[in-house]
Amino acid sequence: MSVQTHAHHEHPDVVGSRNRLGVILLLVADIAFALSMIFVYFYLRGQNVNNMWLPAATEKRPAILPLSSTPSWTVTAIAAFGLLAHFYALKGVRAANQTQLKLGSLVALLASLIAIVYQFNTIANAPFTFSDGAYVSCFYLFTILNFVHLALTVFISLGNWNRSRLGLYVADHWHVDIVRIWWVWMVVSSALGAFALSYP
Amino acid sequence: MTTLINRPAKTPSKSIIERLNLFTALALGAVSALVVWRLALQFLPQDVEGVRILTREDKITLLSMLAWFIGFMSGIGALVGPFRWVMGKDLTHEENMFLAGKDMGTKRYFRYTTDHKVVGIQYLIITMLIFFIGGSMAMLIRTNLGHAGGGWLHPQAYNSIVGTHGILMIVGTIIMITGPFGNFIMPIMIGARDMAFPRLNALSFWLIVAAAVPLIWGQFIGGISTGWVAYNPLASQAPLGMDGYIMFICIFALSTMVAGANITTTVVRMRAKGMTWNRTPIFIYGVVASVALALPAFPVFFLSQIMSAFDRALGTTFYNTRGGGSGWLYENLFWIMGHPEVYVILIPAVAALMEMAPVFTRRPLFSFNVAVMGIAGIAGLSALVWAHHMYMAGWAPLLNAPFMITTELISIPTGMLFLVLVGTLWRGRLWVTMPLLSIFALLWNFMIGGVTGIYLSDVPADAFLHGSMYVTAHFHYTLMGAGLTGALASLVYWFPKMTGRMFDKKLSWISFWLVQVGFNTAFIGMFLVGLAGQPRRVEAYAPTFSVANLVTTIGAYIIMAGMLVLLYGVIFSWRDGVKAPMNPWQAKTLEWTVPFPIPLENFDELPTVTSDPYGYGKAKP
Amino acid sequence: MSDVMAPKTPQWWKKSDVKKTAILWVICTAVIGFGGVELHVRNMVRPASETMSGVINLMRIFTWAAAPVAGLVGAMCLTVLTSGRHYGDNPPPDADHEIRNSPRTTAVWVSLSAVLCLFALVVGLVVFQRDSQAILDKSALQVNVTGQQWVWNFDYANGARSQDLYLPVDKPVVFHVTSVDVMHSFWIVQMGIKVNANPGYITETAVTPNKIGVFDIRCAELCGILHSYMQTKVHVLSQADYDAWFAAQGRVEAKS
Ligand code: HEA
Ligand code: HEA
Ligand code: CUA
Ligand SMILES: [Cu+2]
Repeated sequence: MSVQTHAHHEHPDVVGSRNRLGVILLLVADIAFALSMIFVYFYLRGQNVNNMWLPAATEKRPAILPLSSTPSWTVTAIAAFGLLAHFYALKGVRAANQTQLKLGSLVALLASLIAIVYQFNTIANAPFTFSDGAYVSCFYLFTILNFVHLALTVFISLGNWNRSRLGLYVADHWHVDIVRIWWVWMVVSSALGAFALSYP
Repeated sequence: MTTLINRPAKTPSKSIIERLNLFTALALGAVSALVVWRLALQFLPQDVEGVRILTREDKITLLSMLAWFIGFMSGIGALVGPFRWVMGKDLTHEENMFLAGKDMGTKRYFRYTTDHKVVGIQYLIITMLIFFIGGSMAMLIRTNLGHAGGGWLHPQAYNSIVGTHGILMIVGTIIMITGPFGNFIMPIMIGARDMAFPRLNALSFWLIVAAAVPLIWGQFIGGISTGWVAYNPLASQAPLGMDGYIMFICIFALSTMVAGANITTTVVRMRAKGMTWNRTPIFIYGVVASVALALPAFPVFFLSQIMSAFDRALGTTFYNTRGGGSGWLYENLFWIMGHPEVYVILIPAVAALMEMAPVFTRRPLFSFNVAVMGIAGIAGLSALVWAHHMYMAGWAPLLNAPFMITTELISIPTGMLFLVLVGTLWRGRLWVTMPLLSIFALLWNFMIGGVTGIYLSDVPADAFLHGSMYVTAHFHYTLMGAGLTGALASLVYWFPKMTGRMFDKKLSWISFWLVQVGFNTAFIGMFLVGLAGQPRRVEAYAPTFSVANLVTTIGAYIIMAGMLVLLYGVIFSWRDGVKAPMNPWQAKTLEWTVPFPIPLENFDELPTVTSDPYGYGKAKP
Repeated sequence: MSDVMAPKTPQWWKKSDVKKTAILWVICTAVIGFGGVELHVRNMVRPASETMSGVINLMRIFTWAAAPVAGLVGAMCLTVLTSGRHYGDNPPPDADHEIRNSPRTTAVWVSLSAVLCLFALVVGLVVFQRDSQAILDKSALQVNVTGQQWVWNFDYANGARSQDLYLPVDKPVVFHVTSVDVMHSFWIVQMGIKVNANPGYITETAVTPNKIGVFDIRCAELCGILHSYMQTKVHVLSQADYDAWFAAQGRVEAKS
């Protein structure tokens, strides 16, 4: 989103649509990444090699039980709330309502912060060690990568809010449009992870 | 506005952008790596009861490498743009001009320069470096295999050299056309002033530099003893060098994603006025197909390596069967990337030769539409064939037949590319130059490589051939015989535009013949030992294979001679070559309409296109 | 190639370069087919099973099938190369036509490659089907194969274990292959069968040896430092010899 050309005499719409395409293409890569993660999850679940998807109890330790998927859905819900706030901001800037823009972006930023803290907690409080079987491996993969996604979201929404605050979106607002694309994907990918984790 | 008179009273303090360059990057990268290494050594807890023995060392290594990466990228200036965006202080026009390397001379090659022409040259240099190192490793391999019995290399060293040779060459071939020529030539060819996202362009290049270091680092801490595919669970057992491979792949994958989005956007959105899709040169199609194919493919590879890193450093069990993991999972992920990737390499090479064919036969390209359909067909099918590398894995015997069908179907669109090339040669006026000869060489080599690919795609035949040197010979014929041949022709063809001088003709001929003769000697020999039953990746073999192996080694030395001539040719011609006219080949694409040195923004006035660039030949009355 | 037909030009098949190509085509096809087959078949190992004979046959058929296509490309290249070349630093004058496409040629070419592709598929799938059936043979000898860095272990029905493989001639065998550490690949070279040995899984392959003798088993998947040396022999014995060996093994096992 922060990219611009040094061909300086171009109309913002042209630059905006070019940037949108660029971001969508980068998302294609991220989507491929997320889908292969889902593939990993269901492949290992289907294979259940040595019955170690969810290891049964042994003398040394009790059986590994899957975590409820509610925390994952909660993170998704918080992110979805952030998305709504961003939509609200976007509506504001479209209607030349700068206050609404600032408010919406601030709420979106806060939502991303809450989500990331929550996600961190889920990871830190998980009752597993890393080598507790394939389900647990996948659990960590999903939550850690979602955490990274959220970190990116915090960065982007921080920028978006700050730039709104500085009044940079008075003349044109394609940045805000593009940030929305990211937000949508953030929510969808988080939901994909939560969906998978709902089928331990 | 001369600065002499208008010099400001007080020079404003240099902005951060002006201070950063390769040296600050190297310094910052090295310092970060050292600091993190020391801290990790100090504070990381000892392993309790390791699932793997090396877990703690792996953590330390991976963290230090990550620190290198972040340090280097900050030091080169990759983070300036994003942070300025967050702060709401977008780069000014002057700053952007500075980044583009305006009036900076050779210094701009050592910084985060956004001008696509600078990035193109940077890519050219790094590609040649990669090939040089990879080629030297190939010579070590061949020297070791010169005679039967154990070679002079330690088996571990041999395995590591093979793996490093493989991955370096693969990466080299992935970038060899879309990097140098896709960046330097492509924007001019479509009549654009620069790429769509110049800063991402610089990013994609410097990511490769950042990636190279962990790979080299890895060579000193155990090497990549797993072959280029780094199959698990062997990889989780491998020494610390494997972490270098993992880091390398992750960073390189980022680079391909960035480059893919950038190049595709440039072509889709920035073609000159009048350059409709059927007036767009075929080379552009090749470049876009290649990067667009890489775009969804490389993230899969990326993920597979992240999981590898998790397994090694954290003790997860994605690939460890004792913990419910599966080696087949790795194989699937690897080849879902691995097969599309071979066409990522092939398509731009063939497309570049298609671009040259009309120039050197002085007649129109034969059947532009078939060429486009062929490229599209290959790109589409290539996502559905990955399991032909896993026929013998036993992961899904019932799927072997369907994958055999999709794999063999690919020969139809690939055949279309042959039709276009042969059709263009037919009744042309041959202008015999190194690029023209390369077209013939590609047809020859790729026919052999392609048809042997069909043998391999046949399951019962693969039951014999898989894992043998026959496979190795097949892919050298495709990767090198087809891919590299196209890249070398591109080098000679676009050399005048990139350096202002002609590539010395005699040297290009000598090198062409040495390389092609040596290549065919070497790799026909390799087919023969494969058929006789020599496995791949062995540093010692039975005496029955010695004659053909010796032939292969001799062939390899001839290739080396040819490549050295080529290297000399590059250096010699760049410095002392004949000054090139604006359009030495009398070609009709747009890049030949700009003078040398090419102005910063390529065109004073953006061109308008009114026909495709293949209007050679006499019109019928 | 189909040109637009100007009044005086002869019909396309009468043009001299077409005739030349036709002759060269026949020659090239023969050379490629014959040469390719010789190169393959002469260098392949002598078969020790029906499966391997099948593979060699496949190579023969495929090479002959691909020869006409490769021959056509070769013939056209040769024709082009021998009808006027221009050297020099400036381009020659343009060619005297501007053919941009030819639907007929394209159609012919694509159908040709489609037919070829279909042929290869049918031939391949038939053989593949036959090979896969063998695995289901319940009456076959069953041998468990375990790869480990860097040896092969063979377990027989009577509990015997060996590091060289012993098989009776002309009797179907099914191998159940696995590994205890990393991936290996179980390859009996002269019998043309191979399957990977994966830790955590059992994979299957089957063959009927049809020749008495000693043949090679090689590991075909990189498995660490001594991968090159992970080789052993298979001894194919007459039924009587095999029975004797088998009984002896049983006794050894029982004693220990
Ligand atoms: C540029 C790289 C490149 C290209 C283009 C190809 C092209 C093809 N490859 Fe290859 N391949 C590799 C690089 C490449 N390959 C590599 C690197 C490996 C090994 C990796 C490793 O294990 O380390 C490999 C391995 C490999 C295997 C696995 C072997 C094994 O490990 O057991 C197989 C099996 O199916 C295969 C098949 C094919 C096929 C069918 C094609 C087809 O695309 C070829 C199509 C072309 C033609 C057929 C010729 C022209 C067509 C005509 C003239 C039309 C008419 C012809 C017919 C209908 C036959 N390849
Ligand atoms: C593009 C890919 C590529 C290229 C070009 C080569 C080139 C060569 N390869 Fe390699 N090779 C691989 C890809 C490649 N290889 C791969 C993927 C493997 C598998 C690894 C594995 O099993 O894991 C392999 C494995 C492999 C083996 C098998 C090892 C084994 O299984 O035990 C051998 C053995 O002889 C070999 C030999 C050679 C030789 C002699 C060359 C020579 O031709 C080298 C000659 C030198 C050059 C080609 C470089 C010169 C170029 C320039 C100086 C710059 C030109 C500049 C521009 C184009 C801009 N290679
Ligand atoms: Cu076992 Cu190679
Ligand atoms: Cu493939």
